[in-house]
Amino acid sequence: MATMPKRVKYRKSQRGKMKGNASRSNFVAFGDYGLQALETSWITAKNIEAGRVAATHFLHREGKVYLRIFPHKPVSSKPLETRMGKGKGEPEFWVARVRPGQICFEVGGVSEEVAKQALVRVAHKMPIRCRFVRRRHSL
Amino acid sequence: MVKATLLKAEVRESVGSRHAALIRRQGRIPAIVYGHKQEPVAVSLDAHNFVEELHHGRRLMDIQIGRKKEKMIVKDLQYDYLGKEIIHADLMRVSVTEKIRVTVPVELKGTAQGTHEGGIVELHSDRVEIECKATDIPEALVVSVKDLGVGDIVHAGDIGLPEGVRLVGSPETILVTCHLVAAAKSTEEVEAEEPAAPEVIREQKKAEEETVEEQ
Repeated sequence: MATMPKRVKYRKSQRGKMKGNASRSNFVAFGDYGLQALETSWITAKNIEAGRVAATHFLHREGKVYLRIFPHKPVSSKPLETRMGKGKGEPEFWVARVRPGQICFEVGGVSEEVAKQALVRVAHKMPIRCRFVRRRHSL
Repeated sequence: MVKATLLKAEVRESVGSRHAALIRRQGRIPAIVYGHKQEPVAVSLDAHNFVEELHHGRRLMDIQIGRKKEKMIVKDLQYDYLGKEIIHADLMRVSVTEKIRVTVPVELKGTAQGTHEGGIVELHSDRVEIECKATDIPEALVVSVKDLGVGDIVHAGDIGLPEGVRLVGSPETILVTCHLVAAAKSTEEVEAEEPAAPEVIREQKKAEEETVEEQ
């Protein structure tokens, strides 16, 4: 069982749509470098956990890894060999809704080269295309 | 000190997102000019020249609108969703003599002593608000972290400011810390912390109401 919310208002949710691009969480805010999503997708809690483990394992307690996405959305499915009907299936796993531009992971406290290597490993765990970004010094 | 450079701006007759998109397609950046208790003016700037000036660290610019030449600083920038392109700029009229409030980035210099002891340097705030003359705006405030050991903190008040520059806001604001990194949690530890299924708020409320009714 991977990460999920502690409390929810409703156990099940409708699928919904993911139109447009990320209008917030689209810049590096906590660390020095980040991994930015370039596609729209559901990212499962398992994907996020795999990314976190890959980054922390590579960094060897050197830097700090920040997770910028959280699986808030439950996804339900029907058991195998079940007839249709009889209501909606039970929640099976949790996903984070990610739109292009969203910063998914951030790394701080390490050099750019090390951060790049760590985030490339994370990107391999993601189901979407991602790119490496630096913190932008805003005015 | 940053030199002012001359950029030509054209007044935008039509405003709105559609017209702004059209301007961007022509290689220009939509901008707004305000300040000095005058009416705001919607203008557009040549994207190449404007971005080049910003890349050189220049924030103070001489902007020519029609025949009038005014000194302005870049107050704010808006980027596209990927953070690649500038899509809009805010320009504020300034005079050389007046003092203005601006935020400047904080840059770290050197390798902290604490990093050799297993610590990491964390930048909590990458900018500081200062008050100074428009001609005295520093490109960045450099903070030397060479002597920063594990557990040490650099506050906003600890930064050496150039002459004529005053810090705005609390000097107690934490800018940089050096601390040891807590051991990363294993997947099993993360799972142990998480409940098997989330608590449903409505069900809890219903149960509470039922117990009240029974009493």
